[in-house]
Amino acid sequence: MSEQAAPLKLAVVGHTNVGKTSLLRTLTRDAGFGDISHRPGTTRHVEGARLSVDGEALIELYDTPGFEDAVALYEYIEQLPQADERLDGPEQIQRFLSSSEARQRFEQEAKVLRQLLQSDAGLYVIDAREPVLAKYRDELSILTMCGKPILPVLNFVNAAEQRESAWRDVLARIGLHAVVRFDTVVPPQDGEQRLYENLSLVLESQRPRLQRLIDYNQAQMQIRRKAGYRLIAELLIDVSACRRGIHPDQLNAAIENLHHDVRQREQQCVEALLKLYAFRQDDAKANALPLAEGRWGDDLFNPATMKQLGIKVGGGMAAGAATGFGIDLFTGGLSLGMATAIGAAVGGLTQTVRNYGERLKGKWRGERELSVNDSTLRLLAIRQQRLLNALESRGHAAQERIQMHTPLEQHWREGELAQPLKTARAYPAWSSLNGAKPSLDHKRIHAVEQLADSLAEQNSNMQEPA
Amino acid sequence: MTDSRSPLQTLWLCEAVRLREEQTGLLEDSEACRKARSTQGSLAQRLQVRGLFLAKRDGLVTALEHWLQGAKLALWMLILSALVSGVILAKTALSGDPQAINIFWALAGLIGLNLLSLIAWCLGLIFSKQSSSPLSHAWLWLSNKLARDAKAAQLVPALLVLLQRHQLLRWGLGRLLHGWWLITLCAALFTLIALLATRRYGFVWESTIVASDSFVMLVNSLGTPATWLGFALPDSELIQQSGMQALKDEQARQIWASWLLGMLLIYGIAPRLMCSLLCEWRWRRGLSRLQLNAADPVWQVFEQRVQPGSERLGIIDVAPSSLSGSVTSSQLSGHAAVLLGIELDDSISWPPELPAHVVNAGIIDTREQRRQMLDQFTANPPARLLIACDPQRSVDRGTLNLIAELSRTAVQTRVWLLPTNSDAERLSDWQEQLDKLKLAYSCSAPWAWLEHGDE
Repeated sequence: MSEQAAPLKLAVVGHTNVGKTSLLRTLTRDAGFGDISHRPGTTRHVEGARLSVDGEALIELYDTPGFEDAVALYEYIEQLPQADERLDGPEQIQRFLSSSEARQRFEQEAKVLRQLLQSDAGLYVIDAREPVLAKYRDELSILTMCGKPILPVLNFVNAAEQRESAWRDVLARIGLHAVVRFDTVVPPQDGEQRLYENLSLVLESQRPRLQRLIDYNQAQMQIRRKAGYRLIAELLIDVSACRRGIHPDQLNAAIENLHHDVRQREQQCVEALLKLYAFRQDDAKANALPLAEGRWGDDLFNPATMKQLGIKVGGGMAAGAATGFGIDLFTGGLSLGMATAIGAAVGGLTQTVRNYGERLKGKWRGERELSVNDSTLRLLAIRQQRLLNALESRGHAAQERIQMHTPLEQHWREGELAQPLKTARAYPAWSSLNGAKPSLDHKRIHAVEQLADSLAEQNSNMQEPA
Repeated sequence: MTDSRSPLQTLWLCEAVRLREEQTGLLEDSEACRKARSTQGSLAQRLQVRGLFLAKRDGLVTALEHWLQGAKLALWMLILSALVSGVILAKTALSGDPQAINIFWALAGLIGLNLLSLIAWCLGLIFSKQSSSPLSHAWLWLSNKLARDAKAAQLVPALLVLLQRHQLLRWGLGRLLHGWWLITLCAALFTLIALLATRRYGFVWESTIVASDSFVMLVNSLGTPATWLGFALPDSELIQQSGMQALKDEQARQIWASWLLGMLLIYGIAPRLMCSLLCEWRWRRGLSRLQLNAADPVWQVFEQRVQPGSERLGIIDVAPSSLSGSVTSSQLSGHAAVLLGIELDDSISWPPELPAHVVNAGIIDTREQRRQMLDQFTANPPARLLIACDPQRSVDRGTLNLIAELSRTAVQTRVWLLPTNSDAERLSDWQEQLDKLKLAYSCSAPWAWLEHGDE
């Protein structure tokens, strides 16, 4: 590795209230950076943040106050007494910065220009909903005077009233052809990547460093996805392993209880996934997800929900097979069987023996067993994977991606359930829904890992041909 | 950095901490993370620093020491049990009438169970991904009991998960299993030698349905490998004679004893030794390659804590204590009523239908238009100036300055916030700013005022 160069300094500049701080928050993944409000001029200071990869600082980003009075400033710069020799842009800006107005009327603008002069390049954030007014043109003229490469970033491009083409025209006229679309409300999946790629177009010498950042971000994405599959696998194992012995008299209450617990467990997974992707439930971004106020709108145990996702109701016979011979009742997503000694002999010796013991005791007391059936597992698997996909694409074009995954969902609808799920049926101790923390069993952990791997594998297989 | 701890122990402790956090929620780790962040190392190193720190703080390190002591003790107990089993094995093999020991029963007693267990292990190696045996369970259980430390209970799952993830579990447990059998069989061998050396045994074979020819062949083919090591092989005559009765002849006894020892060595000890060596090799190789795989999603939760992708640099340039504001004032006299739009885009049809006597001054946007309009108003101050703004635009100081400057050229000024479908927040921002300027504003056009003034 070559000597550690100083980090690339980028000034985030733009008119007031166009979302400069939002862009910084997204790029730094630091939801608490700076202050954001609908009010113009929320940021009045210059604040920095550093992006590092493997402990090496690669980029320093500086959030600046908004440009507000570009028209008057332009006039002022032009009015400044002419020097003997012809001044170029940066010299003119320097002359302005040393004038008294740079500390009074144009104090904010001076901060921005000073920061841009000290930086390697500027990210010029544009509210694409705005018409290209004269003040923005003046702003751009002043900023380009600094002689630094400028990369325009179009924010709010997903709004209905966006005027992207008008902006692109104007930007092209002043020689800014590399433009990035980056909606901070619904950031596109590859938004950051494209931003850094475009940046390396204007800053050729920084290409290796920016490429490192891109690679790092992509690796992070992979890891995040895998972590997501793990969360889903954990949920499925938990639910699959769940089995409760109940007395027939308390059947309804028990069903109600189990419904409630499974719903809650699903919600737990939803929240963990949201957290993994740094979504906050009250986030504007969360609106783009298939959730309503941070939870799934359709009830898990409503047969209509299953129908909607194309899962055959009553396909839960296999689940019962693990719990005994009599599958006598289908009760809203749960299977009910007599507690019998015929358990699945998949497990290890000790567990199986213990299992038999418990079940025999149950039978003696006339208990029945309540477990979650296959259809519900399928529903959970499909729903959570949809959510994961939506989170990954951050709601953007989520519909198309879901279409793409149809063969995968088809597999979950009708195909055989994964082996770890079947195994889990025989281990009630693996479930957190049976009243106790799941046992720290390496077999359970192995099953979770196996299931997560198979989820990841299925998804990557399905994506490739598409 | 990892003080004298082996990589296995370090990773083990990290895994134990992680499993604990997975079960009971994240630990308070600000100090640990600070330590990890100050390590200028890779992510894996940082994660290890964090894990070790938490393990030390929460007593897992001492628990590990206790557990290792327990495990050592359990290992000695296993070795003892292996020795005892070996002796018992040899004794039972040669029990019964010493003058007529059934050679095949003795052989089956010596290596039968061992062979079954070995075959099971080999089948597991080929077909199953799981790898555990009752013996390894017993050892783990015993180690836990002997550790006498409640925290040690968290360690075993962590070890198993860790080894499984690195595909070492099979070899680790295999080492244990084969080692136990190796000791048992060696003990059996020495007991056998001792018994054969100090007592007189006669060997026979018996069968109701097997012909003596096939028996001869069986003994020969089984015994051939042992002859390479110098063990004796009974010739067919001897075998056939032994089928009738136990031979009194000393040489016959020695040959049979030698054959039996050879069998034990070849079919009992040798395969176990090979398996032991295989496991030992894989185990050592695995251990030397053991390192924390930071790309595993299980560590994702901690990554940003020990190696933040972004950090704040703080405020570089502080906010000004006050911003220069604009001041409005008015002219004393002027003529005409003027309507002026500022920064209106082409989506708004302009001008609206105007009452009579109201002059439309158009829309100003650019610098030149501004200057021209201000010049014009300074020369001919309007009596009433209505400035139309689009509240959909974000209000900024530049626009406010312009409005203030325009107001200074007119006798009376009002602002008309056009009823475009702007969001309420922006509208209230405008109202707030105009209040600060002490300018009257309305969301509907004040035509009456513009035409006739306040009266």
